Amino acid sequence: MFDGIANRLARTRTVVTRATVLPLVVRCGIGLAFFAAMTVAWPVTLVVSRYLVLFAPVAVYPAFAPRGRGPTVAIVAVVAGWIIDTTWYDARTALWRVLAIATLTYAGHTLAALAAVLPYDSMVNADVLTGWLTRAGLTILISAVLTVLALGLTAELAGGAFVLATLVGLAAAVGLALLLGRLLRRP
Amino acid sequence: MTLIDPPPLRAAVPPAGAAADEGWAPPAWVPTRALGRTVLLTGLLLVLGVALGRVDLVLLAAPFAIGAAIGLRRMPRSAPELRIDADEEHIVEGGEVTAGVTVANPDVIAYDLVVLRTRTSPWLDLEDADRPFAISVAPDGWTAVELPGRALRWGRHAVGPAAARVAACGGLLACRPVVVPARGVRVYPETEPFAATEAMPAAAGLVGNHRSRRPGEGGELAGVRPFAPGDRLRRIDWRVSLRTRDLHVASTLSDRDAEVLLLLDVLGEAGASGGVKGKASVLDTTVRAAAAIAEHYLQRGDRVSLAEYGSSARRLRPATGRRQYLTVLEWLLDVRADTTDSEPYEHVFGAHNVSSDALVVVLTPLVDPRAADMLAGLVQSGRYTVAVDTLPEGAAPPQRSQWTPLATRLWRMERENVLGRLREHGVPVVTWAGAGSLDLVLRDVARLASAPRGR
Repeated sequence: MFDGIANRLARTRTVVTRATVLPLVVRCGIGLAFFAAMTVAWPVTLVVSRYLVLFAPVAVYPAFAPRGRGPTVAIVAVVAGWIIDTTWYDARTALWRVLAIATLTYAGHTLAALAAVLPYDSMVNADVLTGWLTRAGLTILISAVLTVLALGLTAELAGGAFVLATLVGLAAAVGLALLLGRLLRRP
Repeated sequence: MTLIDPPPLRAAVPPAGAAADEGWAPPAWVPTRALGRTVLLTGLLLVLGVALGRVDLVLLAAPFAIGAAIGLRRMPRSAPELRIDADEEHIVEGGEVTAGVTVANPDVIAYDLVVLRTRTSPWLDLEDADRPFAISVAPDGWTAVELPGRALRWGRHAVGPAAARVAACGGLLACRPVVVPARGVRVYPETEPFAATEAMPAAAGLVGNHRSRRPGEGGELAGVRPFAPGDRLRRIDWRVSLRTRDLHVASTLSDRDAEVLLLLDVLGEAGASGGVKGKASVLDTTVRAAAAIAEHYLQRGDRVSLAEYGSSARRLRPATGRRQYLTVLEWLLDVRADTTDSEPYEHVFGAHNVSSDALVVVLTPLVDPRAADMLAGLVQSGRYTVAVDTLPEGAAPPQRSQWTPLATRLWRMERENVLGRLREHGVPVVTWAGAGSLDLVLRDVARLASAPRGR
């Protein structure tokens, strides 16, 4: 057992001495994005209480193991918090919160995708990071415009939110099915 | 008369469809966990949005769906191409080496991230070669990673194998690692300036500095003389014979030279090599000394041959000139310690294979008793033999028990005994110390050579 601990310590020391700056920044970004998304999504009464210490490990774990199921668990936790806050605590669906959660969860997801293929000790060319962040920024911008338009439209059509959500959801599901079908048929 | 149908001929090249059916290659591009997460979260949020009648949940799924759509709008089709470039110039240990790895993207989409890993020989000190490199490659373009550094030790050193793993489509698809085999860099040994002022023990005539004055078969024209019985017909100079109406032959000077045989004892390796500026192991000293001695004698115009005393028993034929020097350096790169216990081929080093006038320089650590026997045999057969002791200072077996120091002392005493017995047999043993190491012993050997020979 002591050998195992000693090996683990030696490996940790190697990781600490060999780690380079940019992969470290990417992993810090994952932790920060998921933690911020949790603080926005979960009810304020829980966030300011001692339960915050329960969120932190879920948010930070993907930064240490971006290849595992950590990012998926963190995003599901964020969505669960959002559903609890809007149903149980009956919070209002504020535009800024939807925007912030969508942006932060996608940022955490895409940074985890980068960290999964980027070794912690690699010499990273700056083009890699700028290109990756530019694509993520474009995606976030398009979805933010969509969010503003959709939430504005639901405000205009008072009472029709359920119908609109059903229509948008069905349209998105059909679109996704078509997209996946096309991808599978491609050589 | 009936026409016979020609026999059906087999197509030289199989039809295009057949190859696709027979061979199955695994897909080069595979989905990553990020793609699985995208599909899962998008589906989950859409189902929840529809079930709960919440448009905000559908909007939370929007970035994932849009990101996947942007990333997967064009799929990669071909695998990346990888190439290792390494110096092919004359590199001497301690000199600069430039190596590099180039990743080419033959596809129509950009490689968002290429993680490049290279394994290099420990004797090549290349900058950051132990770290992976993360680069991006534009479509139909290439990116090169330079690995400048220094060669620390002689030998054939490998740059590679190199492996590249590519992520494209925003990290949703990844390529299986592409590996290219290693490329060799030849690093020649550093030759300490060596100068032996003493003459060769049996230099009957040298090509170059000391030309023979004896007539005989050779290439150097000495003159034209009348034909005498015993002259070979192909020696007849027809032009002079026609003019003088008597048969004349072209007489030549004999080509004589001294031969130096460098015999490398590769029966064992001792001491740890510290590279060009560090401690020298037995093989380091052997190779560097052999290169220096060969360079010296080849510059003087002598013929130099090399041989290994080991089970591989490699041998380099005697020759002279700069070409031979380069061949010697190339030959020395493949010197390896012989770890097998098989007996060396005695006939390779038998006295009958060594020219009687050759100076035999044996580079040996005198650790193996077989080497001492071989030396004694050479001297007994009347060859001019010089032994160069290549055992590093303070070399000792690793400490294994309390008896190791005692055993080491016994071994040292035994080795001193062997050295003394070799000296009694007339084998001068000298420790290699660079320039002028062999002067003293060569003088002794030259003196021995001037004495009447015989057993």
